[in-house]
Amino acid sequence: MTQLRAVRIVLAIGTVFRAIAWGLGAALTLLVGAALIDLATPLPLGTRHVILAVAALSAAAVAASMAWRDRGVFSLERVAMWIEERVPSLEYTLVTAVETGNASYVAGAKTDRWRPIAIRRAGRALRTPIAVIVGAFVILFVMPGGAVARMTLPHAGDSLDRASVARGTRASRLSPLVAEVVPPRYSGEKTTTLDQPRDIRALVGSALAMSGRGDATGIAARIGKDSVVATQRGDRWSIALPIGSKPFAIRLTDRAFERIVAVEPVLDASPSVVLTAPAHDSVLRAPTGRIPLAASATDDFGLVSASFEYIVSSGEGETFKFKSGVLGAVKPTGKRASLASSLSIDALELKPGDVVHVRAVARDANDVSGPGIGVSETRTIRIARADEYDSVAVDAAGPADEEKSVVSERMLIMLAEALERRRPSLRRDTLVGESRRIAADQKRLRRTVGDVVFTRLGGDPSGEEHTGDDSPTRGKTMEEMLARADSATNQSADPIDFEGGESPVVAVNKPLLEAYNAMWSASTELEVGEPGRALPHMRRALAAIEKARKAERLYLRGAPPAVVVDVSKARLKGKDKGATSTRRALSPADSAAHSRLERFANIVDLVQRDQRAAIDSLLLLRIDALSDEPVFASALSDAADAMRKGKAADASNALTRARRALAGTQVARDSLARWSIVP
Amino acid sequence: MMTEFVFATAQYDSGDWDSAPLLPANIIDTIARYTEITVAPTGAIVPLGDDRMLRYPLLYMTGHLPVRFTDAERRNVKRYVDRGGLLFIDDHNHDIDGTFHKTATEEIARTVAPLTELPNNHPLYSAFFKFDGPPTTSHELNGWGDNLVHKHLMAVERNSRIGVLYSSKDYSSEWNYHPDSKRFLSVDNTKFAVNLVVYALTA
Repeated sequence: MTQLRAVRIVLAIGTVFRAIAWGLGAALTLLVGAALIDLATPLPLGTRHVILAVAALSAAAVAASMAWRDRGVFSLERVAMWIEERVPSLEYTLVTAVETGNASYVAGAKTDRWRPIAIRRAGRALRTPIAVIVGAFVILFVMPGGAVARMTLPHAGDSLDRASVARGTRASRLSPLVAEVVPPRYSGEKTTTLDQPRDIRALVGSALAMSGRGDATGIAARIGKDSVVATQRGDRWSIALPIGSKPFAIRLTDRAFERIVAVEPVLDASPSVVLTAPAHDSVLRAPTGRIPLAASATDDFGLVSASFEYIVSSGEGETFKFKSGVLGAVKPTGKRASLASSLSIDALELKPGDVVHVRAVARDANDVSGPGIGVSETRTIRIARADEYDSVAVDAAGPADEEKSVVSERMLIMLAEALERRRPSLRRDTLVGESRRIAADQKRLRRTVGDVVFTRLGGDPSGEEHTGDDSPTRGKTMEEMLARADSATNQSADPIDFEGGESPVVAVNKPLLEAYNAMWSASTELEVGEPGRALPHMRRALAAIEKARKAERLYLRGAPPAVVVDVSKARLKGKDKGATSTRRALSPADSAAHSRLERFANIVDLVQRDQRAAIDSLLLLRIDALSDEPVFASALSDAADAMRKGKAADASNALTRARRALAGTQVARDSLARWSIVP
Repeated sequence: MMTEFVFATAQYDSGDWDSAPLLPANIIDTIARYTEITVAPTGAIVPLGDDRMLRYPLLYMTGHLPVRFTDAERRNVKRYVDRGGLLFIDDHNHDIDGTFHKTATEEIARTVAPLTELPNNHPLYSAFFKFDGPPTTSHELNGWGDNLVHKHLMAVERNSRIGVLYSSKDYSSEWNYHPDSKRFLSVDNTKFAVNLVVYALTA
C-alpha cells in the first residue's frame, strides 16, 4: 500500500505540472499571436493591456480545467485501477486490497515496478505542453527586438519599440511619434508619455520632447517662423521644446513628409481666496477694538504663502495718505489653507474719516509663469466722522416722516369714503361738520408734508413755533411752497425760480410737492362738505407720497456741477476746421473674426478635395482660436476628430456648430447709432 | 434712429469715481469745437455694475482711492471690453506708487489682461490730431505725484484695438476745469480727448 501511495504522489505531481504547462502554453500562444498581429498592424496600448490580461486569465483557466479533468489521480481506487491496467498479473488483487483495506492480498506482488511506470507516464504527459511552450519561446526569440516587450510590458511610448514588418529608408521617420511631457517641478505631477500625439495639453512651463525612430538628419520642427532641428539620441531622433503660455502648432517635417501636432497650454489657475470675516463692510463710531479676520484659500497645485493685506487711506479731496501692512502670514504646504488673524484698530491710530481696506491674498508655488496670486473680495472699515453720527444709525431710528404721512392719508381717505357712503342719510349741516373735521386733519397732514419738503430745501422748521397757518413767516413760507408745488406739478404757468433752474433737491421733492398740492385741493373740497369730490385729490396725494417713499435712493456725492455745454456755441458755425490730419477708417474691431470666417470657409471647401489637408488646417485654426474663441475651437476639434474617424455626419454637425459659434461672436457696427443711446 | 455720442463716466463702488466732475463737460465742449460728431450736451454717469454701461463706446474712469471691483463690475468690465468698448482709466493720483495705480492695474490684470505699453505710433495718436505720443500734463512737468514724465500710456488690446487704456499722466486734473475757462489757455490741452473719442467710435 505504501508503494501505491507513492505512485499516487508521482501521478499527482505530474498532473499539476501538466496543467501548469498547458496554461503557460496557452498564454504564450496567445501572446505570440498578438505579437505577430502587432507586427503587421500596431495594436493600441489599451488593446495590448487587455490581451495581457486575457493571456493571464486563459493560463489560469486552462490550468484549472486540466487539473480538474485529471482529479482522479488523488483517489487511491483510481490509482489502483490504473496500476491494474498496466500490470494485469495482479488480477485485481490490488483493487480488492484497497477496497477491503487488507494489504495481505498484494503481499506477494512485485511492487517495485509500479513507480517507474508512473514516472514514465507523467513524463509523457508533459511532452506536448512543453513542446508548445518551447515553440512559443522560439517564436518570441526570433521576433524583432521590442516586439515581445510591447506585449509583455505594454506602456505609453513603446510605439518606438515596435518593429515594422516592412520599413524602407524612404518611409517617413515622423511615424511612429512619441511625445514626452515633463511638467514643471513645482506642480509635483508625473511625466506623461503619448503615442502618436495629435493634440497635447500640458501645463505652462512643461518640457516637451518629441522623438521618433531613425536618423535625425533632415528632421525639423517649425513653430510659426521659428525652426528647431532634431538631435540624435542612439537610434532615435528627438526634438525638445518648452511649452509657453500660448497655444501653438508644431509642423514636423521630414523631407516631403509633414506632421502637425497642436499644443494647448494649460494655465496654472491662481489661488481662490474667500474672505469669511469680516463678512461685510462696516462703519465704526470710534477707532478702537480688534476686528477678527478669517479666510480660506485653495489652489490646483499648491500654495506657498497666504496673508491678509490692509491699506489705510486717510484724507479727502486731493490729499490722501496711505499706509499698508500684512497680517497673519502663513506658509501652507498643501492645496488648501486657512487664515486667521485680527486687526487692531487701536494700533492703526485711525482718525475719523479714515478707511481701512482689508483683503486676503494667497500665492501659489508657480515659479514658471507665476506666482499666481489670488485675492479675496475687499472689505472696508470706515471710521465715522463726527458730523455723520446720525447716518451711522447705531441706535434704531423712528419711522421716517413719509411713513407717517402714508398712514394718516390712508386714514383720512377711509374717513372720507365712509362719510360719502353715509351722505344720503345725513343732514347737510352734519355732513359739513364732519367733513370739516376731516379737512382739519388733512391740513395738519399737509403741513407735515410741507415741513419735510421745507427741510429738504434747506429750511429749519423744527426751531420754529408754529401756531397755525396765520403766522406771517409761516404764511410766507407756505405761500412760496405752494407756488413751488404748483409749478412742480405743472398746475401753474409760472416756472419755479431756483436761481437759474430746477435743482436736484426740487426734483427729488417733486412727488411730495405734488402730494402737498393735492392735499390743498382735497382740504378745500372737504371744507365745503364735498368728501366725494375730495377723494380723487386725496388718492392722488397718497399715490404721490408712496411714490416719494419708493423713490430711488440718491447719492448726491457723485452729482457733478450741472454744466450743460452749448454745442452750437462751441462749434461757432459748426465747421469742422480743427482737423490737422486726414481721418482714416481704422480696421474694424471684428477683423479677426472676419479673417477666421474666411479661413473656415476655405477649409470647408478643402474638405471635398483633400481631407487630410483640411484636418491639418482645422488643427491650425483651432490653435489660433483657442485663447479667445474656446467654443469655436472645441467645435473644430470635434470636426477634425470625426473626419479622422471617417464619420461624415458627425464632422458636418461639428462644422455647423463651429460656424454658428463664429458667427455668434461677430459684432456688426454699421453706424454710431448702436452705441449712442441716451439711457 | 440717429442719436448722439454720450460721454460716460464710470461709477464704481470702492472709490471716489467723481473726483473730476468738470471733465465730462470740458471734453464734450472739445468734441463740439473740433468735430462734427453729434454729441450730447451733458455727460452720463453709469455704474460699472449696471448693464447700461455696455451702451457707451467710451467709458472714463478715475479716482484716488483703491479700486476694488465687485463681482458685477468685474463681469461687466470684461463683457464691455470683449464687446469692443474702450475703458479709459486715468490715475488721479498721478503716482505709480499710489494706491489707485496699484489696485486699478491689478484689477484690470485680473479682470481683462495685464496692461502693456502702448507704442507711441499707435493709431490712437493719429485718430484725429497728430501726436508723437501721449501729451504731457502740467502735473507731470511740475514734478507732482511720482515725479515722472510718463513716456507711454498702458493698454490692453483686443482684436487689434484698445480695450482698456490706462494713463498715469493725470489727465483728470489737467482737463478738470469749466469749458468756459478754455479761452484762457494759449494751447488747448484737451485735444487728445478728441483722439480718444474718435478712436473709440471708429476703431
